[in-house]
Amino acid sequence: MARSKLILWGVVTLAIFAFSSRALAQANQPLAQPKSTNQVGFPTDLYHWVIPPDNPLTPAKVSLGKELFFDSRLSADDKESCSTCHDPQKGFTDQLPTSMGIHAQFGQRNAPSVLNAMFNTLQFWDGRAPTLEAQIQGPITNPIEMGMASMDAEVAKLRAIPEYAADFQKAFGGQITFHDIERAIASYERTQVAFDSPFDRFLAGDQKAISDQAKRGWALYNGQGRCMSCHGVNPTQPLFTDFKFHNIGVSAHKSDFVPLARKALALLSQKGGLQEIDRLAIQTDMSGLGRFLVTKQPHDIGGFRTMGLRNLLVTEPYFHDGSQATLWDVIDHYNKGGVQNPYLDGGIVPLGLSESQEDDLVAFLATLTSPEYTKQAQKEYQEQFKRSRTDRPQRDEAAAMGLSGRNGPGFSGPFGDIGPGEAAMRENPADLGGRPVDSLK
Amino acid sequence: MHPNRLLSILTLSAAAIIGLAFTIPFHARAQQSTVPQSVPTSSEQVVHHNVPASTDGGTVIMLCDGKTSIEVKGLKAGEPMSHAQAIAVTHELMDKWRRENPGEKWEMAQENQPESAASAAANAPVSAAHSAKSPPPTRKIQQGDTYASFTDRDYKIWQTETDKFVAEGKTIFHSSKLLGSTIGVSCDMCHPDAANTHPETYPKYQVQLQRVALLRDMIDWCIENPVKGKTLSPDDEKLRALEAYILAQRKGVPLDYGKH
Repeated sequence: MARSKLILWGVVTLAIFAFSSRALAQANQPLAQPKSTNQVGFPTDLYHWVIPPDNPLTPAKVSLGKELFFDSRLSADDKESCSTCHDPQKGFTDQLPTSMGIHAQFGQRNAPSVLNAMFNTLQFWDGRAPTLEAQIQGPITNPIEMGMASMDAEVAKLRAIPEYAADFQKAFGGQITFHDIERAIASYERTQVAFDSPFDRFLAGDQKAISDQAKRGWALYNGQGRCMSCHGVNPTQPLFTDFKFHNIGVSAHKSDFVPLARKALALLSQKGGLQEIDRLAIQTDMSGLGRFLVTKQPHDIGGFRTMGLRNLLVTEPYFHDGSQATLWDVIDHYNKGGVQNPYLDGGIVPLGLSESQEDDLVAFLATLTSPEYTKQAQKEYQEQFKRSRTDRPQRDEAAAMGLSGRNGPGFSGPFGDIGPGEAAMRENPADLGGRPVDSLK
Repeated sequence: MHPNRLLSILTLSAAAIIGLAFTIPFHARAQQSTVPQSVPTSSEQVVHHNVPASTDGGTVIMLCDGKTSIEVKGLKAGEPMSHAQAIAVTHELMDKWRRENPGEKWEMAQENQPESAASAAANAPVSAAHSAKSPPPTRKIQQGDTYASFTDRDYKIWQTETDKFVAEGKTIFHSSKLLGSTIGVSCDMCHPDAANTHPETYPKYQVQLQRVALLRDMIDWCIENPVKGKTLSPDDEKLRALEAYILAQRKGVPLDYGKH
């Protein structure tokens, strides 16, 4: 018994040595350190409202949480840490369309940033977890992310690592528990606040903080671009999101919603709970159903959380499936009125934005970059700008200007421009699923 | 929509009468209907209603409140109704509900069912996420229509922003400097705490202007005349804030336009 324990320790030590060096290097980078709340535009009121009373921030918890966040021993094969997909150098994302987990397996969702995630009312793209704490078991136990069998297995694994015993004792006054792992990591994540951008200084009264082009973009953001309706922002809540879920047609590209929803309901009726929803969201074609997997409400089909827009130049690519490479592609998507489907949010309509107006909007979005990411964001802006001059897969000028699609000739159905068009109305919209509007002609 | 499709939806679900199920035949509420169907059900997500047995050899149809039901005479189980009959039945169900719940609003009544299995089901994913030893979840998962469901935090954000705006107006109201007065006069000198500004009476004919005025027109008149400053544009932040403060001071007073 003693001997086998010794061997086990040897293996563990080797594993630490072999696999955690990259994560440790990440943890020591300046971008990984807890951030000061002394930033222009920092939402002090909101900050105090969202720190949970049962998990106040303490230095011991934050330090332990940071250790855990960068420790690849939290995964089944000792290779994936939280920071694998939420890398501080990449705005706490992996800059991949969808994330790669254990044994080089890819999931169905784009890794959301940890930056300002503490302000989300619900976590994950579909809000399937209510808090940062509750969110943590998702990736740890997902078989293609960190691959642990259960949170109990995680507790057992960490209890075998001597250095953690003292840290947990110090932070929580007891031995390692599943809830304290969650509380520690969530505490570290709550130190990752990112404001202090040129736009924050502009709102605070510095007229020179952003360019004239960005100011035109800000006007479009509030006006013709209709961005503000969902990506809401004000000094009390400066996160550029409504924290709600909308179907903007992204998953309608490849999801036939009705049969998928029936399939999901069948599976969820046999086995419910976060883990099953997590499996459907990460590992199956039902991922595109989005919020519906959680609420089972038809109006949530294909709905995904409105993402905040801060530092979005370093969190590319975009949308829940990472399907769009540049901000021009994202705006092109909205400009043509999204992708037609029966569950499309009523607020998604053609915008009629010109090329130069799109450039203005991107210039505005670029001002939402926090100082620590300025260089990276500038580089990414240049790359995206260059690419946008030649490569525009989502651009549909005619649809954007209302000359085709549901506003165009032949689409004057009984509900005018809020309906799916005359051709579509001949059939039951529910039978149409996610077919693009072209196939309705 | 194809009439046959409409018909089959109507027979599937009484919820169709409030327009919910037209495009969504597998709507969760559809599973409460009396007609057997292929959609899988789950004790966790669906409210199972005890539909009373038929007393007259017909089919009992129940409203999705789980309480109101009527019997359609001569309709065999599983047999579809005619379009006209289905419409009549849904109307009769709703009328019956209104008779039994006088003065109630349907949407509100459905929202205010604290013990309903629907809300329990909504929280199921959260409950399941916690093991037996964990405390019960305190935060409710957002429910309802995307544009009509708000959290306490939303209300706090709105209140904070509104109060800030009003406070800004109060500052300007009390500052001859911010008002641009050339003689050191501010609004509060004649209107302490915005008294005697009666903002609830606008629009009304203002003798000073010899035309119908809005509150902002009168504020501008005051700025130009007693205050001896320059009028503000209607979309000027200062004018908007002043208007907000004056209106906020009269919270609760009924609107009474044109009153003198």
